[in-house]
Amino acid sequence: MIRLTNVSKTYAKSTVKAVEDLTLEIKDGEIFGFLGPNGAGKSTTIKMITGILSPDSGVIEVDGINIAENPIAAKSLIGFVPDNHETYETLKGIEYLNFIGTMYNIPSELLKQRVSEYAEMFGLTDALPNMISSYSHGMKQKLMVIAALIHEPKVWILDEPLTGLDPQSAFQLKQLMRKHAEQGNTVFFSSHVIDVVEKVCDRIGIINHGKLVTVDTLDNIRQDENVSLESLFLTITADGTDSVK
Amino acid sequence: MKKFLSLVKLLFVQQYRTKPTEGKKRRGGTIATYIILAVCFTPMLISIAIAMYGVGKISQGLEGGGTNICAMLIFISQGAVLLFGIPTLISNVFTVKDADKLLFLPIRSSTIFAAKLTVAYLNEVITTAVMLVFMLLPFGIGYSAPVGFYFLLLLALVLIPMLPMLLGSIIAVPMSALITKIGKNGVVKTILQVLMFAIIMGAYMFAMYEFGFIGGSEEGDPTDMAQMLLDKLQGMGAMMKYVHSDYTLAAAMLGSTFSVVIVNLLISVAENALLVALVIAMSLPFYHRMLTTSVEGVGGRSRRKAAKVTLEVKNKGVVKELIFTDLKRVMRESQMGFQCIMSLIMLPLMVVVFYFCFNISGEGDQSIVEMFKGQALYQGIAPIIFLSYMSLLGMSSNVLGIYPISRENKAIYLVKSLPVSFNKYLLAKVILATAVMVISDFVMCVLIVALFGVKWYFGLAMWFAMAALGFGGMCITTLIDLKSPKLGWTNFNQSLKNAKNSWMALLVAFVVSLVLGTISGVCLLGWYLTNTSWYMLLIMWVLIIGASVGFAAVSYKIMTKNAQRHFDNIEP
Repeated sequence: MIRLTNVSKTYAKSTVKAVEDLTLEIKDGEIFGFLGPNGAGKSTTIKMITGILSPDSGVIEVDGINIAENPIAAKSLIGFVPDNHETYETLKGIEYLNFIGTMYNIPSELLKQRVSEYAEMFGLTDALPNMISSYSHGMKQKLMVIAALIHEPKVWILDEPLTGLDPQSAFQLKQLMRKHAEQGNTVFFSSHVIDVVEKVCDRIGIINHGKLVTVDTLDNIRQDENVSLESLFLTITADGTDSVK
Repeated sequence: MKKFLSLVKLLFVQQYRTKPTEGKKRRGGTIATYIILAVCFTPMLISIAIAMYGVGKISQGLEGGGTNICAMLIFISQGAVLLFGIPTLISNVFTVKDADKLLFLPIRSSTIFAAKLTVAYLNEVITTAVMLVFMLLPFGIGYSAPVGFYFLLLLALVLIPMLPMLLGSIIAVPMSALITKIGKNGVVKTILQVLMFAIIMGAYMFAMYEFGFIGGSEEGDPTDMAQMLLDKLQGMGAMMKYVHSDYTLAAAMLGSTFSVVIVNLLISVAENALLVALVIAMSLPFYHRMLTTSVEGVGGRSRRKAAKVTLEVKNKGVVKELIFTDLKRVMRESQMGFQCIMSLIMLPLMVVVFYFCFNISGEGDQSIVEMFKGQALYQGIAPIIFLSYMSLLGMSSNVLGIYPISRENKAIYLVKSLPVSFNKYLLAKVILATAVMVISDFVMCVLIVALFGVKWYFGLAMWFAMAALGFGGMCITTLIDLKSPKLGWTNFNQSLKNAKNSWMALLVAFVVSLVLGTISGVCLLGWYLTNTSWYMLLIMWVLIIGASVGFAAVSYKIMTKNAQRHFDNIEP
């Protein structure tokens, strides 16, 4: 479970609120899709949930743990795939996974087993002994996904996780997301690909100008069955924050 | 032609352009840096100019010697042009990093090559201009050269870079081929760079030794110095006929009749044209090969390698893993690795250079070092001077300690998202930076004991004190970097432009040295007043080591107390 209560954030170098008074709860067993145009506040929200940024006000809880009060315990529960691929480029893939495994205190034997399992699943085994800097965009994305899942976190936070993945790997990941949610865990999923969000997510939240415009199940948001999520999204985000509630 | 000129302009301007977002404050810092550099280098350049004027004056009396010496000076200028120009040549022409940005444009690859070669050439022209102003111009004035000399200086500006371009290509082609062969192995690349630096440094030291600037027993009288330089130049000048393009250029510049000037000038231009043709003939096929490699890759190599290597996975513990991961990243990033290794070997190297400088024989065939060793106060004072030197330079030159957070760059988000106590993360950073210093300090202490005759137990005491001081210093510099890390750089040198960190580190080191100096000054006075009683030295070293350990503990406390707040304020 992830709970955000009245969370606001303004960057030090800006006067505009990147996220304003955001209150949101993502329940266990749910895949939550987080949508919004560029600069709407999606990444800022994700960075605050993962502990990368501190909110100016409000409370963020991950599985009931306040991330500001107990960051280590809260972060241990999260598996995070960022939207960029900025990582330790001069490490080999296997060294990076070893590093992540150690940071999450995974015993050596278990780590070895999970590395083999996930690398096989995403077709990355042969590339792991190579330097990350030699990886293609898709290979880096696969590595980030494996690194996020390797400690079997309760909460998955995936920022554009399907970008660059080949169809097989994208399918695998979607299957994993569903399986993870069915086991009573939480998946927070951000994407620009509305079709995928429509197919995968149980509930959707749309953010614009730092404010949560709407949050509900897809059917409830749509009201009219003939309206696609895409046209709905364009209407909501074009008219400002108060046009649709 | 229009495309070629646009490309030259783009490539040339790009290398000197700073980010527009850096603003007035940054520009002010850059201007200040240039002023400081100018203040440091101007006296050296003026000294060279005066010496060259003297060389010119003396050359007047030599029969036909002027041409040889002028040719020699042209050749020396070309050495400097080669030294400063080769990195630009390699990065512009022989390292193809921008193929994806240029190849889709409707420009021929040979035009791109020509533009890159021109940019490298223009860079060499800049160095040539400096050498002409401070070497050839004062030589000509001293020599009372004919008016034609000064006109032909402009032509020399164009012709002098040709030979360095050819020599640079001869060096760069196999080097680039080797680096491509090495592929992604950053450690080998770093070692290669350090080896190259060592070779250049060795050659420089050898040249200095040959010219009698270090070692030997000559007095520093300016007239003798000029004469000595002239003798050396004349001896080597006789060889100049083999560098015919330089010899003919010099003959044209100093020629007294029109026919001598014209004939030599035509020969020199023709020879330089031949050099350009050779550069193109050698470089163009190699450039095409590099272009193909950069677009198509080295082919199958990574897959073959993958089949051989088994996946080794082991949980080493958080701090150990942080340290070794950081070390691997530093060593595999060529710029960072180079800086790190250089800071490791530079200080011991300085001790060796000091030894050679102080080993000059004085009166009675006794070197300065030997004279010092014979003094009663030597064993008390010498270790303190070395300790101050080590702490001052060690703390301010260790890039691992000065830029621990900046080197994370954009991957800082990863550190912030990991479930690891930030104090552990900082501890790992400080241990790594200190470990590098401790190794360097150990080598220095061994050298000081071996070369300067300092007693081994003082060497050991120096090492202990230095390890504690290094740890403390690294804590403070880490905190400084944490307060305003330079993130978002695309190459490590951009991060190094954050000169504030280095100055702050130097200031910390200076304060530490001042405290050490005060403690040791009081104790050495007591030592002197008690007729060099050994127990005063013992008290002094106990106090120094105690103060160093105290400094380390307090610094660590300050760092851990404030670090989390600063870390939370970083907004990746």
